[in-house]
Amino acid sequence: MSNLRNRREFLRDVGIGSAALPFILNLPGLAAEPPRRKQRLVVVFSPNGVVPTNFWPDEEGPLTTLKESLKPLEALKERTLILHGVCDRVRGDGDNHMRGIGCLLTGIELYPGNVQGGSDTPAGWASGISIDQEIKNFLQKDPATRTRFGSLELGVMVPERADTWTRMSYVGANKPVAPIDNPYQLFARLYGRAKDQQTLKSVMDDLKDDLNKIKSNVGAADRQILEDHATLVREMEKELQTSNLQSIGHAVPKLEPGVRIDNDNMPQLTKLQLDLLVSSFQADFARVATFQFTNSVGMARMRWLGINEGHHDLSHMPDTDSISQEKLTRINQWYCSQLAYLAQRLADTPEPDGHGTMLDNTTILWTNELGKGNSHTLDNIPWVMVGNGLDFKMGRSLKYARQPHNRLLMSIAHSFGHRIDRFGNPDFCGAGPLDRLT
Amino acid sequence: MAAVSPQQIARASAALVLALVAGAGMLDAQAVQRKPAGAGPGTKSPTLKSGGAAAAVSSPAAPGQAVYRKQCAACHGGAGEGSRAYQKPLIGDKSVNELSRYIGANMPPGKKKCPPADAAKVAAYIHEAFYSPVAQARNRPPRVELSRLTVRQYRNAVADLIGSFRGGPTLTAERGLRADYYKTRRFRGNERVTQKVDPQIDFDWGKNVPFGDRFDPHQFSIRWDGSVIAPETGEYEFIVQTGHAARLWVNDLRTPLVDAWVKSGNDTEYRSNLFLVGGRAYPIRLEFSKANQGVDDTPKLKDRPVGPARLSLKWRCPKAEPEAIPQRALSTVTLPEAYIAATAFPPDDRSLGYERGSSVSKAWSDATTEAAIDAAGYVARRLTQFIGADEASAERATKARAFCVQFATRAFGRPLTPELESLFVERQLAGAPDLETGVKRTILLVLKSPRFLFREARTAQPDAYDTAARLSFGLWDSIPDAELLRAAGAGELSSREQVLKQADRMLGDLRARSKVRDFFLQWLKVDHHPDLAKDAKAYPGFDSAVANDLRTSLELTLDDVVWSEKSDFRELLLTSKVYLNGRLAKLYGVNLPENAPFQAVSLEESERAGILSHPYILSSFAYLDATSPIHRGVLIARNLLGRVLQPPPIAVSPIAPSLHPGLTTRERVNLQTKPAACSRCHDMINPLGYALERFDAIGRLREQDNGKPVDTRGSYETRSGKVVRFQGARELATFLTQSEEAQAAFVEKFFQYLVKQPIRAYGPEALPQLQKALASDGFSIRRQILESIAVNALSRQG
Repeated sequence: MSNLRNRREFLRDVGIGSAALPFILNLPGLAAEPPRRKQRLVVVFSPNGVVPTNFWPDEEGPLTTLKESLKPLEALKERTLILHGVCDRVRGDGDNHMRGIGCLLTGIELYPGNVQGGSDTPAGWASGISIDQEIKNFLQKDPATRTRFGSLELGVMVPERADTWTRMSYVGANKPVAPIDNPYQLFARLYGRAKDQQTLKSVMDDLKDDLNKIKSNVGAADRQILEDHATLVREMEKELQTSNLQSIGHAVPKLEPGVRIDNDNMPQLTKLQLDLLVSSFQADFARVATFQFTNSVGMARMRWLGINEGHHDLSHMPDTDSISQEKLTRINQWYCSQLAYLAQRLADTPEPDGHGTMLDNTTILWTNELGKGNSHTLDNIPWVMVGNGLDFKMGRSLKYARQPHNRLLMSIAHSFGHRIDRFGNPDFCGAGPLDRLT
Repeated sequence: MAAVSPQQIARASAALVLALVAGAGMLDAQAVQRKPAGAGPGTKSPTLKSGGAAAAVSSPAAPGQAVYRKQCAACHGGAGEGSRAYQKPLIGDKSVNELSRYIGANMPPGKKKCPPADAAKVAAYIHEAFYSPVAQARNRPPRVELSRLTVRQYRNAVADLIGSFRGGPTLTAERGLRADYYKTRRFRGNERVTQKVDPQIDFDWGKNVPFGDRFDPHQFSIRWDGSVIAPETGEYEFIVQTGHAARLWVNDLRTPLVDAWVKSGNDTEYRSNLFLVGGRAYPIRLEFSKANQGVDDTPKLKDRPVGPARLSLKWRCPKAEPEAIPQRALSTVTLPEAYIAATAFPPDDRSLGYERGSSVSKAWSDATTEAAIDAAGYVARRLTQFIGADEASAERATKARAFCVQFATRAFGRPLTPELESLFVERQLAGAPDLETGVKRTILLVLKSPRFLFREARTAQPDAYDTAARLSFGLWDSIPDAELLRAAGAGELSSREQVLKQADRMLGDLRARSKVRDFFLQWLKVDHHPDLAKDAKAYPGFDSAVANDLRTSLELTLDDVVWSEKSDFRELLLTSKVYLNGRLAKLYGVNLPENAPFQAVSLEESERAGILSHPYILSSFAYLDATSPIHRGVLIARNLLGRVLQPPPIAVSPIAPSLHPGLTTRERVNLQTKPAACSRCHDMINPLGYALERFDAIGRLREQDNGKPVDTRGSYETRSGKVVRFQGARELATFLTQSEEAQAAFVEKFFQYLVKQPIRAYGPEALPQLQKALASDGFSIRRQILESIAVNALSRQG
């Protein structure tokens, strides 16, 4: 800090006007700038497109009524922003499902490869980093925004195979990130350490008892090394006592045991995963997260809604098949209700620093690999935002004229203070961040 | 003669300084062992009244000794042990100056005190001779010490402990991987065309099908199964090279280590690291598919051109170069997954020439905690598999309890008393919120208990279970297996025959092979993987791949001799066979096809003799561009003849060849070591090294050095004063095979490496008896291992 002031003083002394300061020092503003608020982003993915007539608001402007698929967001309407006309314009190798998920957050082509899709040429992985990882890297660079994990990649019922359809997040070209869809694995990653320390603590007395017994069995000449060992055990106990198990900011959450990773348990699994996500935000483990329901071409069978067909099969049914369209609408509504659950939990959770609720600083971005399932279009990709983590004006429906989604990805980065002038394929970035968002 | 760059000189002298540092360590070690310079092996355990080896260098204690004898010994005893009049021994931790002041002020009792000058002399003398903690340690008679597990023992013990709950096949002699070839892109039983064993995975199929012309070359798939044997402990890099889809699993057969099933962009090489514990085998599976993945496009293929296909499975062993995983490291048997304790541990004390757990440290304690947590988590995550009862089973709690009892029993190597069972199992399961946590508590407690972490003092009187542990730690550096525990329980480990029979069974195990090999690498002082970089101008073609091959060649020779029928110690020193592959053959002037695999070749029989003239050893003990008779001589003196060498009294850089362009290496070394301060040791070192001068810095035969004929005359003055002369490597090696000094040094070092206790702790007769056994058993190394293990296993020392 003092160094910073010195540089300011230095610049003042050499006669550079204060207006030029922010540019020279690369500072966000002048001296009185309040500390940046905590900002978070959660990208939620669900597959196979939407039923447009039951999804998109008819008009631009303030959100009045929500269509059926989005009904669960009714209570959060004022904090919701829906973007229509933002399209995945990236082309190249791979079918639309592959490019749909692979280019969704990367905004760049897939490499040629050996994964054969429905019709088009085979392809491999995306050839660039995804926006969640880009923002994570940006936040991790700065000690003020650095967190334990930076980002978390979660999922629910993601198939156990790594291919273009099952990966959305990329740390770089050809470097997909596997989402964790097992809540127990996630729990171990987040809280394993703290749990282990508790368990270790619980055996310390027995360990010391045993040590004393052994010591009495050992000749004088050999006692020293056991004494040394005992000293180290006592040291360990002291460390365990002083190591602050509460340093994670909240109690280690309890996890309902024994939920199997199984299609029919999707609702419970989703809740476990979302609750862990909220906990890890409370602990400030990460500021960025992705949450991937199944995969591109996902085949969830929502029997709990009375739907026995697989999601992807249903999504191929024609518009005229009203029964299927109704089921698809309910499927998307279910996904939306999960989104609403997460938003509500964040809205009900105060920021640990006492400034408002977590939803005030978190934006959930719900998206999809396709605009519409039976046409496989990459136009009008659903982009539904809830919460106020980004500095966007909420409570609105916006309609754009076939704008490349790279512009939206850039807007998100800019909102984090990461002022990139391109993201993904630069040909889609010429017009800069998307207008009218703020 | 090419000018030598300052860099080369710098490198060369760095090598020497390093050697000196290593030498200093050796010296301390020997001093602690109470072996004064020049004392022969087999000489009676010496008593070091005069301060031992260190005192021989400079003797400030001598005048003090005279004063002590005259003024102090009457009450304090000749060596400070005390007397009837004054029983307290003279030991403590005052510094020399403190001691001197104390003596001046208080001694002797009465009015007249010791003059300050005498007090100082006496203080210096007794401090060095018996007073200080260092002197006490030096004077303590060697004994079997309570020791913690070494890092190697810890890793093996935890792996075997957890592994003992997994049944499964054991290794067979067959090497290579089982392969299933499929004519399609899938691994479907009815589309399998061929099954066979592939020695290694390094294929370039071109546009062909690997199993016959009548199949469509557009698509085929292959799956390999088996195990991979890790020769040493450390980080391995596995490398899959292909332009098609491939997936590799190592140890964990559920999650691929390398997943290249998606081919993307120009990537054709995939690397991944895995920590493995050496001397063990791990399951491995490799899948390859020459086909597009995802949606089946088979019907469209006939219109497309056929592309080429290749596949290599390579690894980079710790401190080695990448190579195709060799056949000898692959087994056709798929072993069960192994638990790998990958936690980083601080290195063990090796100052006595073998790893030993003679002290504990914070870093070690933290590492054992970390490792215990890791192991507990590993078991808890697989609890169902380990106890054989899932969450729904009514027997889950009972089986978990039985598991915990067995876990503690096997970790401690003996049945639990009711008291211990209550502490280690009952209390932990009862006190935990759930079963998994209870099991974790037992595991943490067991793995942190001295009953597991410490050896050699588990009970007041050693019993059959101690014998079992001495066998298993001696041969495997690990806990006893089920058979040993059974034998101990059945009272079948009491006679020498029974012990030898078990030891013989255990010798066939990979862990024994690995331990024995590591002994020889340490004996030859190459366990740390010396840097074999050579001057590219002087030795064109000698690159890192050659250096890697030479190491392999040495290891093959060691394995070959040690595990042959005769297992003859002398053969190690005399064999003229060297393992060469195509690459080495070219460099060492042997006619072999370029891609020839390693094979034993007779190389210059008249001159080359045994491991001392193995090109790897000769290259390791040489400079970038010149031989080093000193390094070679020190190796022979210290490691083969068991001599104690002082570190050079002054740090010396070797004379650069360019300063005396007319001299041979031998002449230059003579010049350098001429001063009296040097020659005291170099008179022994140099003539041993000179015998190897027929071999250049990469171990190739040469006739001339610097334009003059090489002079390979050498000599050695034995401890009994007899001067032996020899010319060339073969005569030197022949002398060593006949030298009782060399045999004794070998027996002692080998015993201590295996047992990790000083041989003298087993009585004055242990060493001479083992030495006799070596000579009477046809110099069989295997036999010597068994004899050494038996000495320890049957010892009544607790």
